[in-house]
Amino acid sequence: MLWKKTWRELRENKAAYLACITIIAIGLMLFVSMSVIYEGLSNAKNKFYSDYRFADGFAVVRGLSETQVARLASVEGVDRLEGRMVKDVRVFAPEREENIYLRLVSIRPEQATRLNDAMLLGGAMPAAGSHGILVDPAFLEANNLQPGDTIHVIIAGNQVELSVAGAAFSPEFVYALRNPMDIYPDPLTFGVAYLPLETMQILFGEETLNDIVFTLSAGYTYEDVEGRLKPRLETFGLESIYARKDQFSEVMLAQELQGVQSMVASVPLLFLIVAATILYILFKRMVEQQRGQIGILKALGYSSREILLHYLSYALIIGALGGLLGSLLGFWLSFPLMTVYEEFFNLPGLTGRFSFGYLVISLLFSTGFAGLAGYFGSKEVLKLQPSEAMRPPAPPVAKKTLLEGWHGYWDNLTVQGKMATRNAFRNPGRSFFTLIGVMFAFSLIATTGYFLSITDLLILDQFTKVQTHDVKVVFAAPLDSRDARLELSRLPGVNRFEAYLEVPAIIKQGWYEKDTIVLGLEPNSEMYNLLTKRGVKVPLPPEGLVLSQKLAGNLHAGVGSRLEIESPYAKENPVYAEVVDIVPQHLGTNAYMEINALGRLLGQGHISTAALLAVEEGAYPYLKDRYREAKGVFSVEEKGAMLNKFNELLESYSFTYWILALFGMFTGFAVIYNSGVVSLSERRRELASLRVMGMTPAEVLQVLSFEQWFVSLFGMLAGVPMTMLFLQVMASAMDNDLFSFPVVFELQPFIIGAVGTTVSIWLTQKVIFRKIRRLSMVEALKERD
Amino acid sequence: MSNVILEGKKISKWYIMGEVRVDALKKVTFEIYQGEFIVVLGPSGSGKSTLLNIIGGMDQVSEGELFYLGSPLHGAEESVVTRYRRNAVGFIFQFYNLMPNLTAFENVQLATEIATDPLPAADILAEVGLADRAGHFPAQLSGGEQQRVAVARAVAKNPELLLCDEPTGALDLKTGIQILKLLRDFNIKYKKTVMVITHNASIADMADRVFSLKDGELVSVRVIDNPKSPEEVSW
Repeated sequence: MLWKKTWRELRENKAAYLACITIIAIGLMLFVSMSVIYEGLSNAKNKFYSDYRFADGFAVVRGLSETQVARLASVEGVDRLEGRMVKDVRVFAPEREENIYLRLVSIRPEQATRLNDAMLLGGAMPAAGSHGILVDPAFLEANNLQPGDTIHVIIAGNQVELSVAGAAFSPEFVYALRNPMDIYPDPLTFGVAYLPLETMQILFGEETLNDIVFTLSAGYTYEDVEGRLKPRLETFGLESIYARKDQFSEVMLAQELQGVQSMVASVPLLFLIVAATILYILFKRMVEQQRGQIGILKALGYSSREILLHYLSYALIIGALGGLLGSLLGFWLSFPLMTVYEEFFNLPGLTGRFSFGYLVISLLFSTGFAGLAGYFGSKEVLKLQPSEAMRPPAPPVAKKTLLEGWHGYWDNLTVQGKMATRNAFRNPGRSFFTLIGVMFAFSLIATTGYFLSITDLLILDQFTKVQTHDVKVVFAAPLDSRDARLELSRLPGVNRFEAYLEVPAIIKQGWYEKDTIVLGLEPNSEMYNLLTKRGVKVPLPPEGLVLSQKLAGNLHAGVGSRLEIESPYAKENPVYAEVVDIVPQHLGTNAYMEINALGRLLGQGHISTAALLAVEEGAYPYLKDRYREAKGVFSVEEKGAMLNKFNELLESYSFTYWILALFGMFTGFAVIYNSGVVSLSERRRELASLRVMGMTPAEVLQVLSFEQWFVSLFGMLAGVPMTMLFLQVMASAMDNDLFSFPVVFELQPFIIGAVGTTVSIWLTQKVIFRKIRRLSMVEALKERD
Repeated sequence: MSNVILEGKKISKWYIMGEVRVDALKKVTFEIYQGEFIVVLGPSGSGKSTLLNIIGGMDQVSEGELFYLGSPLHGAEESVVTRYRRNAVGFIFQFYNLMPNLTAFENVQLATEIATDPLPAADILAEVGLADRAGHFPAQLSGGEQQRVAVARAVAKNPELLLCDEPTGALDLKTGIQILKLLRDFNIKYKKTVMVITHNASIADMADRVFSLKDGELVSVRVIDNPKSPEEVSW
């Protein structure tokens, strides 16, 4: 029979409980969808890596012959070793504004299997010696190409026609970036293509191989083998040798997986904690309200345990419904979310799915949280003696509130305002519930709002304040900056020239080491600015390294630390440099040095790898045209185009944030609606009495709404520090090498939070107004509870 | 009148209100026999309700002893007292105290479900004359009807002891008499003890014995040799 009571009560107060169910469901939906994505990504990755023999180690060399490669294959600890040719080429596409690049990777079609093998998705493996290529499907799709089409590329200054034989991707380029300075893969301008080795050797006029990949024999670590290979490879001009864990695509994938995992751990928890808190307070109030009924049940002979179980049943039903709804929505959401990941990761078998395991886990989670909330919310009153339970609780002691002494405020209030002010103070439990609700709602909306605004801000800052050049000319090989200046600064439309040096390096301090890029900038650079947190320009010291905060953290380095640097650009390795400053950097993890000091440190004099230019409008097409087929120039990039590209990609990436923001707002509304409706039902008698006295529904609403606004104001204020706390938690969970989310006080998200909260309160009051109008005075006054 | 079912020895009950101790019962001693009809009389604040709560296992004594069929209830474990309430006692309150979201029939079932030897809920509801109102919710019933549901709910558990706190207090004379008649019928038909608390002295005429309370003390116990029938009572 108690079950009937439960069901009927749930039905009667469905709005309030539905709001709780919704919050739980949102939390679990995020948990389930992110879990499914995590599992899907890592399973797909592991399967792809093992099925297509992803290498354990990689090395880049200047050149070695096939016989030398064969000899290396017999080194102890190496299971299989292959030499390849890897070259970046430009695609000839005069009709296109932007530069398009292909990374050509040699394959041997005659072999049955290969390391980092290409998974053929369509078309056929090109015949040995042919000009056929396999191209990654993202590139094909983005550029509207199909097997059978041709692509013209520039090799050594000549135009070469390659025909697309098929579509394929390999574990090596799951996350395909042209260089680590890019943030998002852009299949429109960069792709990977596999070309038969013989053809490639003929086209480039080179016999030698420049890229080594290898797997390890069982029982050997990468470090064992690196130690044996390194000295042998050095004679062939070793540029870099690194393990799978440092391979760029793998790094990105691992980071993304880690990010998803920390999202799984943090975001749903946030929602569940909010839901549990709301449920807890809801139950505390319900039990308080049902004192009399509890007393009767006790008088009838129901034991405390049975009554507790009865109230727990509400919690468990709410938890179970929320969990069920949440996980089903989560499975459903995993499909569209996975397509977002498909856009960034070339991984076969990425799809959302249903998982019975996660259904069970989320049910356990939701019922567990709800059960705890229900238990702690209802256990108090059960201790009461039945006779005590049947007496209404002693009315709260009436005394004047502090505000009444504040005449400027008090004397200007209407009677409704006075009632509301006193109510807010005399019912601390209820006010607290509203306060907590508004605080959570505000913080959720503001937190998600922060992430929306900060990503835009980060990118915008990077391109309007940090990198202020108009055009970047990237050289095919390092050039003497004096020659480059001579060539470029005399061109029409070029207003300013700055040399720019990107040096790939491994920086070490004691046990800590980090693969990064050291940027060499001109002493008074105006086109690449280092900024403080507040956006003030930091001058570049004439000597020594400037580290980004993140890099300094990774290396456990501070100002004055002496760091060891290993770089393929250095005449002799390693070299040493002292840290002279540390600056914040939100996009990427770099080190900076004055360009001439860096050149001296490397023993290379005045080298530069690119030029930053400030140009007049219209100069870019001329520059692009001028260097279209030049051997010494790798690319001419316009910043505006890059910014557009980023913005476009950002839009698809921010999908997740929008979803979060939407849920934040929805949860906020649910919390406020819940507190409003419960407040109303608790005070039906009181409000009906006011109606009986002749107040209009609007006047009655004033009493409630004044109180709600009054308390909400404090709730929103309390939401500000709460938001900062949420942000700290989220930022540390989402931190990675590419992005670091700065937690700074920004006004915009708080405005979003305040607007969202205000709209929620306003909507809630609309509903309450309707309820007050329908309130039956006779019924409400007759009722005894 | 031989079987003692309930025995109270020097029962005291006090409440601490801030720094003041309020004595609700002062060393009250009594015996209650099987099958008798007792009326407890007294002005408000005399300790009637406190006595009923203690007898009904709704509250604990501050001092003294209480035995049900020889077993102590004072200082007994919560589970013992709950079992006592569940199986031995039926309560009827002045304001009916039905579960608002259960129908009349379901309210009775609420009690029969947990009792060990209940009477059929439908029969009892018919006996109080509400067979045709079984599916109605409390809000759809008149006060008298609600109180009859409350009586049915208490009786259906088939308790040894029926405790009634001002059962007619909120009703008019005619309806009140109907309720008293139901109580008397139960008392005679099932040979169960009924204890009615009231400040209405005329109801005392239908009792076998009348306890009078004043200021927390049991001032007199009056035996009535020829109790009136409920119909003869008036106020």
